[in-house]
Amino acid sequence: MKKTKIIAGIFWAFLGLIVFIILFPGLNNFSVSVSKLPFMKINPRYTGGEKAYHLVAEKCTLDIRRPVFNGFLKESNSGFVQIDWRGDLPALINDSIDYNGDGEKDFFIQINRKNLKTDLKSFNPKVKDVVISTPTSYGWAVRVGLLKE
Amino acid sequence: MTDSLILGLSSGSACLATCGMVMFPYLMADSANVKRIAVDLSLFLITRLIIYAIMATLAWHFGQAVFKSPVVRNIVPGLLYIIFAVMLVWYSISKSRNPSCPAKMVKTVSNKRLVPIVLGLTNSLGFCPALFIILTKGSTERTLVQSYLAFLGFFVGSSLWFLPLPLAGRIRKKEVIKNIGILATGLAGVIFLIKGLTNIIGGIING
Amino acid sequence: MDNILKTTGMKKSLGKSLLYTLPMFLITFMFLTGGKPNFSDTASGIALLTVFILVNVLFFFMHFTGKTDKYRAVLFIVFALSLSYTLINNMLEVRKAMYFSQADILECKIPFCHLVIPMMILPAAFTKSIIFPGSIIGGFANISSMVVLWLVATLVLGRGFCSWGCFYGGWDDGFSRIRKRPVIKKINELWKWMPYAVLIMVILSAALTLMPTYCSWICPFKAVTEFEQVTSVESATKAGIFLSLFGGLVIVLPVMTKKRTQCSFLCPLGAINSLSNKITPFTVKIDKSACNECFKCVGVCPLYALSKEDIRSGKVSIFCSKCGKCMDACPQNAIHYGIKGVPSGTLKNFSRNLFLFVSYLFMAVFSAGSIINTFHGLLKFIF
Repeated sequence: MKKTKIIAGIFWAFLGLIVFIILFPGLNNFSVSVSKLPFMKINPRYTGGEKAYHLVAEKCTLDIRRPVFNGFLKESNSGFVQIDWRGDLPALINDSIDYNGDGEKDFFIQINRKNLKTDLKSFNPKVKDVVISTPTSYGWAVRVGLLKE
Repeated sequence: MTDSLILGLSSGSACLATCGMVMFPYLMADSANVKRIAVDLSLFLITRLIIYAIMATLAWHFGQAVFKSPVVRNIVPGLLYIIFAVMLVWYSISKSRNPSCPAKMVKTVSNKRLVPIVLGLTNSLGFCPALFIILTKGSTERTLVQSYLAFLGFFVGSSLWFLPLPLAGRIRKKEVIKNIGILATGLAGVIFLIKGLTNIIGGIING
Repeated sequence: MDNILKTTGMKKSLGKSLLYTLPMFLITFMFLTGGKPNFSDTASGIALLTVFILVNVLFFFMHFTGKTDKYRAVLFIVFALSLSYTLINNMLEVRKAMYFSQADILECKIPFCHLVIPMMILPAAFTKSIIFPGSIIGGFANISSMVVLWLVATLVLGRGFCSWGCFYGGWDDGFSRIRKRPVIKKINELWKWMPYAVLIMVILSAALTLMPTYCSWICPFKAVTEFEQVTSVESATKAGIFLSLFGGLVIVLPVMTKKRTQCSFLCPLGAINSLSNKITPFTVKIDKSACNECFKCVGVCPLYALSKEDIRSGKVSIFCSKCGKCMDACPQNAIHYGIKGVPSGTLKNFSRNLFLFVSYLFMAVFSAGSIINTFHGLLKFIF
């Protein structure tokens, strides 16, 4: 028994050595495999959620994402909808947004890119406030706080 | 609800460390009977839930009556958070920490049927800094429902520690669990200390 | 005479030491250069060569002198400093500032580090997602690579990761070596359990809020990596906490106690790593027949992992990070690296050689990139 334990211990230690030797050359492959695991995707609270609508204007595009209400065990009562403007944006952005696709405009948003001021006019009681409004590498992004439907 | 759940979870361990061994023999008097344990534990938890619901209602109405202006609504609870949080932190780092369990008074109850209810009463009314923090939180919530939710979070968090009570005799390294629980309570205190400070600073800026 | 022989038990002759260094020399050469060293850019060539020589010279001295911690600490501290330099340099190059903006969070461009891992577990299980605004694969400091590196290192080294792989540990390790004698000699044993309390709190709070709360509110190393832009009372409070914890736990207390206080009293990942000590093949053993209970090891242990009771019982605690400081201090060579299943006091040299090769290889390869980058930056700055 004692001998078996010793052999098992040394075997386990050598296995560690082999794993370490192949770890760095194989790191890219291992990482790709790990990245394919079902839970290896960024939570929509950070990505902003999937794109729901894509609108094309003359010089820029507008992406309205699916509202995000992600919670730990159940959906949260409050969430947000993210809107991304891409391309050659005007100094003053004015847009009316229908985030839930019911044909009714839910809010009007005005972004002054010069003084970084964002104003929101809500037409839907579920629309709360501007959570984030920021320039991004692709244009501009806004998150508008929402209450659950 | 998140911070009250965390407060309940962290202070529940310290509460169990203080009261668990007082309550255990009473709740588990006839430990051979699983049904009896389940009934007694349920009665104990329901009593706590009812008391907390009453406290949530009283605290909220008190808050509505007293904290009227937005400045007072931020600064007074902020100060209270700081005081109770410091008490909580002090409890966790104090060397002379030896609080007595209010549930000890159960010894005077002769009717065995009433024991879990009396334990629930004494346990939830044993005013500790963590409960004071939740009372402060309940009194500053915007709606009564939010006050109930805050107390519910605290109830759920602290009750989770009582569920494995029947297994208490079999748990090894109780001292380690107690130490970690006490330190977690101190950390919860630090969280509310920061919350109190941000409340006050926010209140001054907004005021 | 007997004592002298025992004290120098781990020392090797020049030839033997060179022989033991040869495999490390070859493997690090392959890993650092990919088999084809590129000297087209002089500064890069000098940086690569210097780091390659440094890494191997330190390993040689570990064998030649029989001392472990003394040489491990050099690379470990250089690793911590250079990693911070690399991160800050990257931030300055990409963002022109040490802070990250809301846009960086929205675009998931925040570099990932191993300290986030404990907070990922519950949300990954229940929401099937990662609660960190970083990149899953590709880009700088991506999540998948860091998870693989940490997981493998922890399975093999256990809490040894904290002394051989963690790119933050070198900060408080370095500051703990500044004074010759500690000013604060005794600290309540209760504090040893604090990382577990922090672990529980951050796991719960991260799950309930779906936010990496340790990174957002506590991590002292934000002070030397990247932090949230101060735009509100909340972000100012966070910055205050980061700086206070860095000043207190990474600088002041390590200097006063000669201990790694951040690792001992705060780090939640250290708590998880110490649990993994139960399953790793390598361990630290006490040869009770050789021990004369001088307790020098207890005094020097930087992580409060050894007590007099541990020595008497012949078992080190789960807090041990296998740094080797106790072994360097032991005049009897009674405390030594071991392999699980192998009785204490036997195969001491074999166990040490194998452990040093495995752990040092990890640290050398893991750290080389950032040290080369830092050295290259310094060369460019000077010339």
